[in-house]
Amino acid sequence: MPPAVQVRDLYYAYPAPLPAAAPTEVLDNVSLDIEAGEFVALLGRVGAGKSTLCLALNGLAPHATGGIFRGQVFVGGLDTRKHPVAQIAQVTGLVFQDPETQLTQMRVEDEIAFGPENLGLPRQEIVERVNWALHAVGLDDYRDRNPSRLSGGEKQRVAIAATLAMRPQVLVLDEPTANLDPGGKAAVFSVLLRLARQRSIAILLATQDVERVQRYAQRALVLHDRRIVLDGSPEEVFAHERELKAWGIGLPQMTELSHELSERLGKPFRFSRLSGAVRGVRRALVEGDVLVQPNAVAETLRGVETLHATSLRTGSVDTPQVMIEQLGFTYPDGTAALRGVDLSIQAGELVVLAGPNGSGKTTLAKHLNGLLKPSVGRVLVAGQDTAALRVPQLARSVGYLFQNPDHQIFAPTVREEIAFGLHLQGLPPDEVAERVDSAMAAHDLATCADLPPATLSLGQRRQVTLAAVLAARPKILVLDEPTGGLDWRSRYELMARVAAFSQEGGTVVMITHDVRLIAEHAGRVIVMHTGRVLFDGTPAALFGQRKVLTEARLTVPPVVRLAQRLAPFGVPSSIRTVAELADVL
Amino acid sequence: MSSSYDIYFRRNTWVYSLDPRVKLAIVFVLIVLTFLWPRVPVALAVSLVALALLLVAQAPRVRIFRFLRGIIPLLALVLGLTTLFAGGAGPAWVAWGPVRITPLGFQQGALLASRLLALGLTFFFWLSTTDQGEMVRGFGSLGLPYDWGLTVALALRYLPILAGLFEQVREAQEARGLDLALRGFFARLQAYRPILIAVVIGALRHGERLGWALEARALGGEGVRRTTYRPLTFHRGDYLVFAILLIILAGAILLRLL
Repeated sequence: MPPAVQVRDLYYAYPAPLPAAAPTEVLDNVSLDIEAGEFVALLGRVGAGKSTLCLALNGLAPHATGGIFRGQVFVGGLDTRKHPVAQIAQVTGLVFQDPETQLTQMRVEDEIAFGPENLGLPRQEIVERVNWALHAVGLDDYRDRNPSRLSGGEKQRVAIAATLAMRPQVLVLDEPTANLDPGGKAAVFSVLLRLARQRSIAILLATQDVERVQRYAQRALVLHDRRIVLDGSPEEVFAHERELKAWGIGLPQMTELSHELSERLGKPFRFSRLSGAVRGVRRALVEGDVLVQPNAVAETLRGVETLHATSLRTGSVDTPQVMIEQLGFTYPDGTAALRGVDLSIQAGELVVLAGPNGSGKTTLAKHLNGLLKPSVGRVLVAGQDTAALRVPQLARSVGYLFQNPDHQIFAPTVREEIAFGLHLQGLPPDEVAERVDSAMAAHDLATCADLPPATLSLGQRRQVTLAAVLAARPKILVLDEPTGGLDWRSRYELMARVAAFSQEGGTVVMITHDVRLIAEHAGRVIVMHTGRVLFDGTPAALFGQRKVLTEARLTVPPVVRLAQRLAPFGVPSSIRTVAELADVL
Repeated sequence: MSSSYDIYFRRNTWVYSLDPRVKLAIVFVLIVLTFLWPRVPVALAVSLVALALLLVAQAPRVRIFRFLRGIIPLLALVLGLTTLFAGGAGPAWVAWGPVRITPLGFQQGALLASRLLALGLTFFFWLSTTDQGEMVRGFGSLGLPYDWGLTVALALRYLPILAGLFEQVREAQEARGLDLALRGFFARLQAYRPILIAVVIGALRHGERLGWALEARALGGEGVRRTTYRPLTFHRGDYLVFAILLIILAGAILLRLL
C-alpha cells in the first residue's frame, strides 16, 4: 500500500501582495511520506510555512490560495492538483486553529453530519458515522448541544469529529490547541493518539507544544527556511539542541535538562521523559557522580527572593497599586462571573492570573482598566475608583494587551500604529516621534517601521501591540494570554520586554495557561476558579498544592515535578527552571 | 462572549419543536394579517399575538425585553418623522415652514410604526425559535437551492460573531485611550475609523477561513446530490397548527373581501 501522504519536491509561493512585489516563497524542495497510523508533529517558527503545508495536503493550496505550485502532492493516491478540494476532502480532513471559522451549525450532530451530507451519503450511513465520530472524540453525550457554547477544547474535538465523519485516511491539524487551556490540550492530544493507533489514520499536527510532541508524537518534522530540515523520532529531532535554538524552536524541558547536565558535568545524560530523568539523576546521585550542592540552592533561591524584594521596594508598600474589595460581577445575561474577590497588588509585582477557561480571569482583568465596572464591591487603580473613570482616562495608567493582536491593529504602518495611542494622549509631535523610535528599537521593529502591521508574523504583530501599549508609559500592564500560538523565540523576546518593564518598576498582571511561563516569570500566582480566588501565593507554593492544581486543571512543569521527585536527595522542591535545577546538581 | 449575541436560544417547548415550515407559515400569516387592513389596532393585535407566541414558547424574557428596548427608539423615530413631514391633506394641527402636522400624517406615522413593531416581533419570534439547521431545511423543502438557505443561515450565525468582533475591537481601542464619547457627528465618525478598519480586516479574514473550512468539508462537490441527516417530518401538532393557520388566513381574506 502506498503511503497515505506523499509529497514530492514541493515548491510553493503565495501570489505577490502588491502588483510590483515578488511572490512570497514559502515552501521549497519539500519531500515527505506519511504512513497510515503515523502521528507526525510539524514544528517550526510562526511563518515558517507550516500552515501552507497543511493547506497543500488537502488541495486548498493552490486551488483556493492561487500562487505558484510546483512538485506533487498525493493523498490516498489522489494528485491534489488534479482533483477538486471537495473530493480530496474525503481523503484529507483539515482542522484549523480557530474553531469559530470551522463550526457552521447550531447543533453538534448537525455539525458532524454536514460533511457526510455534502458527500450525498444515505441517511442511515450518516447516522452511523455521526455516532461513531462522536464516540471517537469522547463526546457521546454532546449531540444536541450548541457548538458555540462549548469550551475551546470541546469545540476542537467537535471540529475533529466533523472531519472524521468523512472517514479520512489523513487528518491534518493546524495548531488546534494554541488557544486551549491545559485540560483542553490534553484531551485533544489523547484523542489524536487514539485515532492514529486504533483507526490507522495518518496524522500531521502543526504545533508549538514541544512537551506534548515529545510525549505523544511518533515522529517530528522541523520546517525552517522553506525546507524540512529535520525528520525523525522526537528524541532524534530534539537531540539537535543547538540547531533548534538557532532556528527559534524550543525544546522539551527534560531534553533541555539532559543537554544542560551533560554539558556541565561532562558526563552524558540521556533522557527525554520524566521517568527517565528521575532514574538517570537518581542513579548519578546514588553512585556519587553528582552531588546536591546546598550552597548553590540557597544562592539561587536567595537570588529569586532578592529580586522580588527589590521589585516590592520600588513601589510604596503601604498604598497598593491595585485594590480590589469584595468584587462581584454579573454579566447582563445573568452569568455571575466574579464573586467576592479581594486582592491587593503592589507596585512592581509580576502577578499571573491562572485557571481554567471561564473561571473569570479575563473578567477580572477587564476591571483593571474599567472595561467592566463592578456589580458589587469596588476596584481602586492607583488610588482611584474605576467606577468614576472612563476607559480612555484609565488608559493613561493601565496598558492592556489583548489576546488577539488583530483587534488592535488598524494603521497602515507600524510607526503610525505605535504613535496612535501617544497622539490620543495629546503629546507633542517631537515627543511622539522620539518615543516611537525608541519603542521600535526596543522591540526590534525598526526594519519594518513602514510596513503594514497586518502583514507581519504573529510574533511581530504581538510585539507591535506591546510596543504601542508600552510607549504610552503605563504604570500597570495587563496581558491576556500573550504567548498563545507563539514559537519559542517570539515568546522569549516578548517575555524579555515584559520582564524589562517589570524590572523598571512596572506592575504586571498576566493571564496565562502556560505553566512554564508561570514558573519562569511569576512572582505571584492567583488561581481563579468559578469566579473566586482559589489560590494566591508563589509559584513554588502552587506547585506543591495538588488539590488546587487538579481543581484548576493546571499541570506542573516537568522540571518542577522532577525536583519534587528528587526531594529525598535534598533537592529543594521550590526549583522552578531547568537552569535552577542544573545549578543545584 | 459572542454567544450572548445569538438570537436563537433553544428551549424544549412545543412551539420550539414545531416543524420549521409551520413556523414559516405562522410568519407568513402574521405578515398577511398585518397588511390586510391598514389599521393600527390590527398591527398592534398582530404584535400582541407574536409576543404571546414568544411567551408561550418560553423564549428568554431578558432577550424579548432587550429586543423591545432596542426597537422602541426606532418606532419613536418613525412616528415622529412621519408625523412631522408626511403632511397630507386636510386641516393641520400645526403648520410651520415645511412642517405640517395633520391628523392624517399622525395616523400614517402610527400605522407605519405599529406595522414595524408587528413585523419586528414576528421575525424575532421566527429567528429566536428556529435553529439555523431547521431553517435551511425549511427553505430547502420549499424548493429554494441549498446554497441560498445555507447562506442565509450562515449570515445569521455569523452576525453575532461579527457583533462580538466589533465589541472586542472597540474595547481594544478604548483601552488604548480612544475616546468614543466625543461630541459631534463627524468627530465621532472619525473616532470610529480605527475600529471599523480592524473589524473589516477581521471580517475579511474570517470570511476567507470560513470558505476554506466549508470546502474542506466537501461542500459543493460536483455531481453530488446532498442528503439530509435529520429530514423534516410533520407531526400531529404540526398538522393541527397548520390547519388553524389556514382557517385564520381564509377567514381573514374572506372578511376583507366582504
